Amino acid sequence: MKANLASDSKFQTHLNACVRCGLCATSCMYYIAFKDPKYIPGRKVNLVSSIYRRYFTPEGKYFPSLFNARNLDAEMAEEMVDCLFGGCTMCGRCVKHCSIGVDVSYIVKKGREMLAVMGLVPKTLQATVDAAINTGNNMAIPTEEFVDTIKWMEEELQDEMGDPKANIPLDETNRHIIYTLNPREPKFFPLSISAMAKVFYAAGESWTLSSKYYDVTNYGFFNGNNEEAAKIAGYLYDETHRLKADKLVLGECGHGSRASRWEGPNLLKKAYDFEMTTALELMAEYIRTGRIKVDKTKNQTLCTLHDPCNLVRNGGLLEEMRFVVKSCVANFVEMTPHGNDNFCCGGGGGQLAMSEYNERRLKIGGIKANQIKATGAKIVITPCHNCVDQLMQINHTYKLGVTIKTVAEIVADALVLPDPASPHDNPADTAAETVADPLHTDSNSSK
Amino acid sequence: MIISAWISIAALIWCIAFLVSYLIGLIRKGAPKDLSERSGNTVKGIIYSNTGAMLPAAKESAYMHLPTYTAGMIFHIGNFLSLLMFVWIIVCCCCNISTPAVLALILAALLTVSSLCGIFILIKRFVNVNLRSISCFDDFFSNIICTLFQIAGICIMLSFSNICTYTDACSADRLCLMNFYFIVAAILFIWMPLGKIKHLIYYFAARYHLGFFYGWRNTWPPKHI
Repeated sequence: MKANLASDSKFQTHLNACVRCGLCATSCMYYIAFKDPKYIPGRKVNLVSSIYRRYFTPEGKYFPSLFNARNLDAEMAEEMVDCLFGGCTMCGRCVKHCSIGVDVSYIVKKGREMLAVMGLVPKTLQATVDAAINTGNNMAIPTEEFVDTIKWMEEELQDEMGDPKANIPLDETNRHIIYTLNPREPKFFPLSISAMAKVFYAAGESWTLSSKYYDVTNYGFFNGNNEEAAKIAGYLYDETHRLKADKLVLGECGHGSRASRWEGPNLLKKAYDFEMTTALELMAEYIRTGRIKVDKTKNQTLCTLHDPCNLVRNGGLLEEMRFVVKSCVANFVEMTPHGNDNFCCGGGGGQLAMSEYNERRLKIGGIKANQIKATGAKIVITPCHNCVDQLMQINHTYKLGVTIKTVAEIVADALVLPDPASPHDNPADTAAETVADPLHTDSNSSK
Repeated sequence: MIISAWISIAALIWCIAFLVSYLIGLIRKGAPKDLSERSGNTVKGIIYSNTGAMLPAAKESAYMHLPTYTAGMIFHIGNFLSLLMFVWIIVCCCCNISTPAVLALILAALLTVSSLCGIFILIKRFVNVNLRSISCFDDFFSNIICTLFQIAGICIMLSFSNICTYTDACSADRLCLMNFYFIVAAILFIWMPLGKIKHLIYYFAARYHLGFFYGWRNTWPPKHI
């Protein structure tokens, strides 16, 4: 750990760049909600940098009081756990607005790594990571239960499509796409699975789910244990190879997408040898290429959009998300602020998995509640199941009276489906044809 | 040259040596390594990080705190001006030349404004409870020494313009002032690589890293929606 920190240019840069001007305070939702200086992002950086100065610099070693170099004792560790785990969603809003450009969330993550080495990860968060490592999904859903849910959704899909060929493939090999889910979907929101299945059906896509390693989330990204994060990322990497899929499609989960798309190759220390994209980008591609047809008049209710931090500010999908949503809804209004400036829902950074900080999480969620209220929208769309969960709790707590939907659900509602009676229009047949596509067969056989 | 000038030059060498070693350390660690598939343009990201992203309209830390932000900017300009002025004064001392009166007055006026901004920021750090809670000795001292350096520069400019040259410090008072200026400069240069003023180097590295990060992920330059 010490050697890693000493050789990390980005870490050293950001630690030494912070001048503690405190102007970041008003960009942090914790500070806005609580007005407590302990939540000032610069102070979070200072917690980590004070340790760095104490143990890595001569001035901190010999004149600690002059440079605020602090010993990493029990009191300090407790303060760090409270602020770095319980007082930051790692949304990066303060980073964008920092007068210097200090990557606060990166420093917070490094601080969490220090705490993880000391075994100080909050138990609830660690339990979530342990479940993912031991069972393949963070909610420890048994495979039989998952398969039953999928079969049930498949029947629903067939009924809705009026097509017995409409299916939700499980553990199929040599498909173009392996699709992943947030375990909250099979556990609490199975209709979002059927919504995406409907999109795949309409697109005539060749796809499959894995019955064992379908979990897109990676709480190892939040608990600060990179080995565990790498192990979880490795599950999806290996499963994509095992099922010989061409492309890994990351389900609607902000941090999960980030953990695989951006962090996964770095965690596994290798560039991925297959394509990887998010469900959002895939749906955008379907709409752009005319592979699915959508009719925005089918969604007349006024909608707004919540930008998940890991997909927009930290993932660059600002335009894609709006392209898909605006293609599928007739009435749309932006929140203020939105896009790269948007506030986190409050559930990021592993907060949803840490029940000890529930009260704080819901209090900071008040900012999002006010944003939603101000739009007057009745539907809040977000391509992230963690955000969905937090937004549903905000909806209940602040009595917003809105409906929370994923992007796939909105797209599914807007789909213009071909007539299954027509042999040329049957997407299930197209899917079968796609499977037989020699191009795909070739690429698969080369694996 | 008087001995205090030599001390300040020695301190400057110490300062430069440290700052250069920091810079070399960062360069030797290399550019950020990212194995994920790049989505955007890192060069454009880095350029934006140092241009558009620095505009007051792009940052809450600027547009929500305009008085502090403005004071900070002016104070920093004053700091750079003071550093350049130090070099000029050393040259004047070595070559036995003087500063033209008009130029000296302009510099003194500019430094008066910037040092007042420094004092404003210092007072804010003392008075504002939140800011005080995240401050340490380094924060106060760094501000004080920089402000003092600017004030000393003002005194030098006003006293030693074309009235007389630096080498023939014609009175004990002026000699005292020269010593004061060079001693303050020496303390500043010794402190600079140790305290937070070293962000002089790390600021640019931070903008680079941030531009690379957001550029790689296609967040920067921002898209208009």
